[in-house]
Order: sequence, then structure tokens, then C-alpha cells
Amino acid sequence: MSTKEERARIELLQGTLDLLILRTLLLGPRHGHAIAKTIEFNSEDVLQVEQGSLYPALHRLIKRRWISVEEGTSENNRRAKFYRLTPKGRRQLELATRKWDKLAGAIARILRPGEQEGEP
Amino acid sequence: MRRRKRLMEGLDEDIREHIERETQDNIECGMTPEEARYAAMRKFGNVTRVKEAVREVWSFVWLEQLLQDLRYGARVLRKSPGFTTVAVLTLALSIGANTTIFSLVNGILLRKPPVHDPDRVIIVSNKWAGNGSEWDRLPVSAPDFLDWRTQATAFSGMVAGNFDDYTISGGTIPERVSGGRVSSNFFQTLGVAAALGRTILPGEDQPGHDHVVVLSDGLWKERFGADPGILGRVVRINGNSYVMIGVMPSAFHLWDFEARMWVPLAFSREEIAPTGRKERFLRVFARLKPGITAKQAAAEMGTIAQRMAEAHPDTNKGWGVAVKSVQEYSIEDSNVTTGLLFLTVAVGFVLLIACANLANLLLGRSLARQHEFAVRAALGARRTRLARQLLSECMILSLAGGGLGVLLAHWGVRALRAQMNWSEGAVSLAQTLQIDVRVLVFSLTISAASAFVFGLLPALHISRTDLNDDLKEGSRSFTRGGERHHLQRLLVVGQVALSLVLLAGASLFVEGFLEEIRASAGFNSHNVLTASVSLRGLEYYGAPQREAAFFENALRNLGNLSEVESVAVTSDLPFNFPNERNLAVEGQPAANPDEQPRCGYFVVSPGYFETLQIPVLQGREFHASDNVNSNPVVMVDRAFARRYFANENPLGRHIKVIEGGGTKDDWREIVGVVGDVNEFLGQRDSRPHFFEPFLAHPAGSMNFVVRTRSSPAGFSEALRRAIWAVDSNQAIARVRTIDAVIADAGQGDDLMAELMSAFAGIALALAAIGIYGVISYMAEQRAHEMGIRMTLGAKPTQVLCLMIRSGMSLIGIGLTLGLVTSLALPKLVAAGFNGFHASTAPALVAAPVVVAVAGFLACYIPARRAMRVDPMVALRDE
Repeated sequence: MSTKEERARIELLQGTLDLLILRTLLLGPRHGHAIAKTIEFNSEDVLQVEQGSLYPALHRLIKRRWISVEEGTSENNRRAKFYRLTPKGRRQLELATRKWDKLAGAIARILRPGEQEGEP
Repeated sequence: MRRRKRLMEGLDEDIREHIERETQDNIECGMTPEEARYAAMRKFGNVTRVKEAVREVWSFVWLEQLLQDLRYGARVLRKSPGFTTVAVLTLALSIGANTTIFSLVNGILLRKPPVHDPDRVIIVSNKWAGNGSEWDRLPVSAPDFLDWRTQATAFSGMVAGNFDDYTISGGTIPERVSGGRVSSNFFQTLGVAAALGRTILPGEDQPGHDHVVVLSDGLWKERFGADPGILGRVVRINGNSYVMIGVMPSAFHLWDFEARMWVPLAFSREEIAPTGRKERFLRVFARLKPGITAKQAAAEMGTIAQRMAEAHPDTNKGWGVAVKSVQEYSIEDSNVTTGLLFLTVAVGFVLLIACANLANLLLGRSLARQHEFAVRAALGARRTRLARQLLSECMILSLAGGGLGVLLAHWGVRALRAQMNWSEGAVSLAQTLQIDVRVLVFSLTISAASAFVFGLLPALHISRTDLNDDLKEGSRSFTRGGERHHLQRLLVVGQVALSLVLLAGASLFVEGFLEEIRASAGFNSHNVLTASVSLRGLEYYGAPQREAAFFENALRNLGNLSEVESVAVTSDLPFNFPNERNLAVEGQPAANPDEQPRCGYFVVSPGYFETLQIPVLQGREFHASDNVNSNPVVMVDRAFARRYFANENPLGRHIKVIEGGGTKDDWREIVGVVGDVNEFLGQRDSRPHFFEPFLAHPAGSMNFVVRTRSSPAGFSEALRRAIWAVDSNQAIARVRTIDAVIADAGQGDDLMAELMSAFAGIALALAAIGIYGVISYMAEQRAHEMGIRMTLGAKPTQVLCLMIRSGMSLIGIGLTLGLVTSLALPKLVAAGFNGFHASTAPALVAAPVVVAVAGFLACYIPARRAMRVDPMVALRDE
């Protein structure tokens, strides 16, 4: 068996939420609740993430230095932690997005053979 | 780290804030506050678990998982206490035994004398070859030493010492102590300073200034109660007054040159006269100049010796020089070295057996757990995770075994120290003996490594094999299981063979030692007490008639005691090398001085042979009438008679003793022939000796031999009193049984024998454990098969026999292998030990029997358990 491939697959699955967070932060710094809301909204509520799982993911990203955290005040003047994408995180997002597209395309081709060639 | 802390601290607040916002949103969507809050919390999920997950992000995951694995491992090990105990004991025994023995070996072989820069201090000895052998540890004469010192350029200092026994008197009872007359710069050259007071000063080696003495720490404590006020006080040594000027540190001990006090070496006129070159009595030490090697020094000394042989042919012809480090000198001196070599090999064997045992145990266990691991792998456990768990089990085993092993080594070294008491050198060595850390680390590493390697094998196995097979085989294990045990069986065979070889080797040593003492001594050592007495220092020393009178009186006093069966004096005790003299034998052509026969001789009083029960083979023993006024007579031993008179009758023949090159003595008649007595342990070929009657040749230094009617243990006080009744100023040294004399001559041979048997015991125990482990594992594996057999009508005894047979066949192969190897042992041992001649038959019969019995028990116990298994349980077990 090839453990390398297996690991990549697992990481991709595990890292989905991470990817979504990074993508969300591409739009600008946000606090935790706002991130959750954005994901829900943009996925048209398809992705019903358990909001709590957001926090371990955030901390994981901080640890990897893909996002940074800063104190700030929110729109209604409440204190909150704002998360911001770092350059390193931006690169990671590009990489992960490409990977994701590849995988999604491959799966799509298998699931709907001969439908359409043109994945962007 | 700080980042982690800050983020973790804010987490609670973040979560609260998050839920608060969500609640707010929900309220805006039209929920009641209560509903809104509930919905928000449900959406968020389990707060505790979230916090846990965040903490995990930041924690040292591997460390926490390791702890978890260790906890799990400990639980697993606790569940199989038998396996755990055996594995830990195996590790501990091998680590403990190894460390103890190598600490001893290193302690002896690698120790340095307690002097400054010990590698630069060498011993310069005389070398002489002749009669087919070479001696290179001979002492040096005073004129030679003085010449060497002026001529040699390789040394920054050269000093001499004359080591002998001295009588200290005055105050308490007189005492005989070892001491040295040493050059005035002796201590400076060795680079040691006095712990109290000072050492000898230049100029104090001049006659008239030389009455100062430096004490050893031991003597200072024992005789003077460690009183610092003794400096400047006077003590009597050999009847003369000496001022005590210093005390040496307790660590200062020159091993072979035992001394408890040092006085300046002031040469007498005779010593440095030209004739003094013949009197070789000095030990010479030198410190190499910086940049000069011992080899260069040896070359220079060789040239000097040659020059001196040419200048003084009558005294120095044929005499060379040997240069050795103190270390080399001491190691050569003890026959412990060869024994140590054997021990080292034995320890290696024990380590091998232990490793094989561990391998066996862990392999067996891992095979038994293959099913478990297959299931876990099938359920998704990653290989690394399984490996890590195995690793943690090995780690627990290694730590426990290692810890216990260190403890065992600590006890072992302590026990060894207590055992090392056969000489003062051994005692001083024992004091420096401690656990060698390098050795400890080495044995820990080896044992732990084997535990890890064999413990991890199953993890590798899982990655290699098809899980399906394992799962299937797990349920019908006896179909293919047999193939897997090849390695294990091989290990058992090896263990049995190794332990047999070790056991046979050890019993060879023990037997050889016992034989050395008992069989070949040449006299009856039972109930004999000895004591050394020297009249030196007393006013009548050197006056033969008064000396003779002293010993005659003492002998009479002793003979009158009811406990005493018989008593005599002798110049040297058995198991010691006596002085030697050149001699001429009647009827044989006079040889030139270089080729004269040379023999050891004893001066003995009438009754000596009777007391030691040395058989008088021909003629008679000395009588009281054999004195200065009678015809000169001698006795000889059997080896002498055989060497010089071959088939003729030696009685009535004459020999002449040539003392100091002259021929002043008359021909003496041989009046008796006695049996041979050994000079050293395990001596095979007796050397010729002759005996002179004490009353005709009185001397000032003699040894009493007293045969008592019962055990001489309590007799030493009576012996002292009887001698002091003649002269209360007389020092009595070394009161000991003749068995102790023999043991001292053995230089720790008995310790060696004990160690060897201890090792064989450990090896046997380990092998038995190994066999037991394998058989019980096989029994467990085949429980299913046995269940079927018993259901089909096999009787329990048949099952028992089957199990025992399969075990004993392995033991049989191992025994055969071991026996074949053991047959070569006696030759090996004989090659290593000069004159070693143990009869090998008993060892080679006894050892296999012991191993076979141990092996049988190791088979029988688990086999019996297998027999008792309820067939239904065994069948259902899968």
C-alpha cells in the first residue's frame, strides 16, 4: 500500500474546514462568530458545521502561522478577537484550492462520465 | 509557549462571546431569549470537548500520547504478571551480573596507582634468564641502582625502596608491620604529599639523620588512634628510636609494595661495597621525563645494563633490565587475570542467554498477540500507533529491568568488596571498587536494545503480512503455527547448550580449586596454626646461640600446652617460595657458577615433618642431636632425590651448600627423604628442595607451625602468651591457620570459583526460565489441539507426555551441542591456567544432569497445566 497517498487523502478530508476558514478570511479579518456565519451563508446553509469545531481549527491554523490573531472591536463596539490571513496562509489557500479542484474534478468525472469536459 | 498560554486563556471568553452573538442573532430571527440561547448552545456543540480539542492543538501531543501508551502498556503488562516478572528479572539479572563483573575486571585491569600522573611512573626491575625460564621482576642491588640513577637520562627521578617487615614496639604490645626503607625523594618522585606532617626530606637518607618515620593512615589509626599529636614523638622500630614526622593519605597504597610505614633508605657500607652488587633487594621506581616513552626508557636501560654487565661480569653477567608500568607489574603479579578472562567470557555467555531469553519471551508473546494486533489494525489502528504501543511496553520492561539491574549491580559490587580480603592489596583494591558507569550504560543499552528489537518485531510483521491471514490463522492457530516457532526453538536449543557449557566450565573451576587445595598439598592442613616471628630489633638478633635458645624455649612452652599435639619452626611455610642456594652434589662434576644446581631450602626444627604430617619416605627426621656440634646433615624431598640421584639411594650421600659463591661449608650427609610439598596452588611438578636442621643453623626469623588437638580457632591467644613468656618484647605477626596460608597463596582463586558457580547458577536459572517460557507458550498455543485430542479420547497423561516430549527433544539437542562444546573446555582451561589439572569427568557428567533436570521441570510444569485444561473450554476459547 502507498501510505503517502493515503495520508494526503486523509489530510484533505480533515483539512476541509481549515480550507473554508482560509477562504473566508481572504475577504478580510473576521471574528469567530462572523467566520461561522459567513461559511454558513456562502454555502447556502448546506454546510452545517458544529460551530464549536471552528475553534480547534482556528488554533491549528494559528499554530501553523497561516492566520494571525489580534484584539479589536466589532461593528457594535464589542471587544473580539479578529483573525487575519497571513501571506503564508494565502499561499496555503492557493495550494489547497488547486488540490481540491483537482480532486473534485476527478470525482465529478467518475460520477458523471461524459457529461461535461470543461471544469475551469 | 506564551502565545499558547495567552490564546488558551482567552478561549473561554471567546466561546462565551460566540454563543452570545449567536443567541443575539437567534433573537433577531424571532426566538424567545430562552429558545435562542438553547439553539445557540446546541449549534456550538460540546464546549468541554471543544476546549479539549483546542488544548490538544497546543499540547505536546506526542508526550501526552506517550504517557497514555505507557499507562496502557503498564496495564497490559500487569495483566500478564508471569511474563512481566520473568522479563524484568532476566533483564535485571543480566544487567546486574554484567555490571558487577565488568566493574571488577575494570577495577583490576584498568586501575591506576594513587600517585600523581600514574602513567608516567614505571618500575625498573632486573631481568635474568637461565635454566629454561626468564624472570623479569627481580629486585636490584644498591650499587646497580646508584649507577642507574647517575647514568639514565630518561627519568626525571629514580627512587628505590626495600620492602620488609619491621617490629614496632614501645607503649602497647610489639607489632610486626610491613614497611619500606625508601629514598629520600621517594614521595616527591611519586608526587604524593603527607596528609599530616611531612614526608622524608633530602639529606635524611644519610646515616645518622635517618631516624625518622612516615606512617600509613592505617597504622596511624590502628596503633596511634589517629592522634595528630604523635608528630615529633618517638617510636621504636627494630629496637631503634625513630621520630614520627608524617602520616600519608589513606588512599596511598602501592599495591604490591605493601608498607604501613616508611623510613629513609640509608645504604650501609656493605650494601654499596662492590660485593653488594650480588645482593639484589631493592625495588626501583622512576618517573619518565616529559616526552620520553617507556619504550625509549627501556632501550636506554638495556644499554646501561649491558655496559654494567661488561664492567662487572662476575656479578652482572646475564642480568638485564625490565621496565613496566606499576599497572602492568601488578596485573602480572596476580593470577586473578586469567580467571578474570574466563569470567568475562562467562558474563558474555550469560548476557547472550539473557538476550535469547528476552527474544524468546517477547517473540512468544508477540506471536500470541498477533491476532489482537490484526484485529486492531483491521479496525483502523495505524501501524505507527501499534508500534508505539509495543515500544512503550518495551520501555516499561527496560526501565523496570534496568532499575532492578542497577540495584543488583550495587549489591553485587558491595558483596564483592566484602569478599576481597585475601591480601592487603586486594582490600585496598576493594576500597576503590565501584560500579563502572560506562559498563552500566553498556549493559543497559544491550539489554534494552534486545528488548526493543524483539519487542518491535511484531509491529514490522503486521506491516508485511496480509491481515486476512492473521485474522484467519488466529482462529485456527495450530494449522500453521508450527512453522513460526523455529526461531524460538533455535533459541531454546542455544540456551540449553550455553548454560551447559557455562555450568561445566564453572564446575571445572570449582573442582580444580578444591583439588588444588585438598589433593596435592603434600601435608595435612587440618588444625594447624602458624605464626611468624622475627627477632630483628631485639638485642640478641644475629647471635645464633641466643636466637636458637629463644625458639627452643618458645617451642618448649608451646609443647607443654595441653591443646598442642606437636609444634615446630620453619624458615618458610608451605605454599611460599623459600630462599634458594647454589649447591654441589657429591659424585657429580663441579659445575661453573652459572650452571650450579640451585634449590630452595628450608631450615626446620625437629618435629616439623611430624607436625605437618609430611611423610618421611626414607631415613629419619631431624633430632635434637642434629646441632652445631654434630655431623652436618640435611634432608631432601622426593623431587630432589629424583632430580639428583635418579635411581640411586640418596641416603648417606652428600651435598655441599655453596653460599655466596664460596665453598666454605662442609659436605653434609643426606639422612632422610620426605614427600613433596607445594609452593603454589595447582603446582604439578614439584621442584627440588632440601632441609637444614634449625639447631645447626639457627636463624632470627622463623615461622611456628602448631598442630592443635581441636580447631585452632581459639588458640591464637595462648600461642602469643607462650611466646611472650620467653620475651615480652617479641612481635608476633600473621597468626593464621595453614588453610588461610593456602588461601592467601591462591590470591582469590576461591573467589573466582565462587563467582564462576554463581554465574553458572544464573545461567542455569535463565535457561530454565527460557525453556519454561517457550514450553508454556507452546502449551498455550496448542491448547486447542489438545482439547480436540482429549475430546477424541486422548488421556491426560498422553497429552502430558506429548508436551514434555516436544520440550525434551529441544533440550536433548541443546545438551548434545553443549556437551560437545564442553569436551573442549578442560583443554582451554588448562591452556589458560598454568598447571591447572582438574579431572573433568565429574563436571561433564554432573552439568548435563543438572541442566536436564532443570529443563524437565521447565517442561513439566506448563505441560501439566495444559493437561488440566478442560477440553470444552479450550475449544470454545477461540
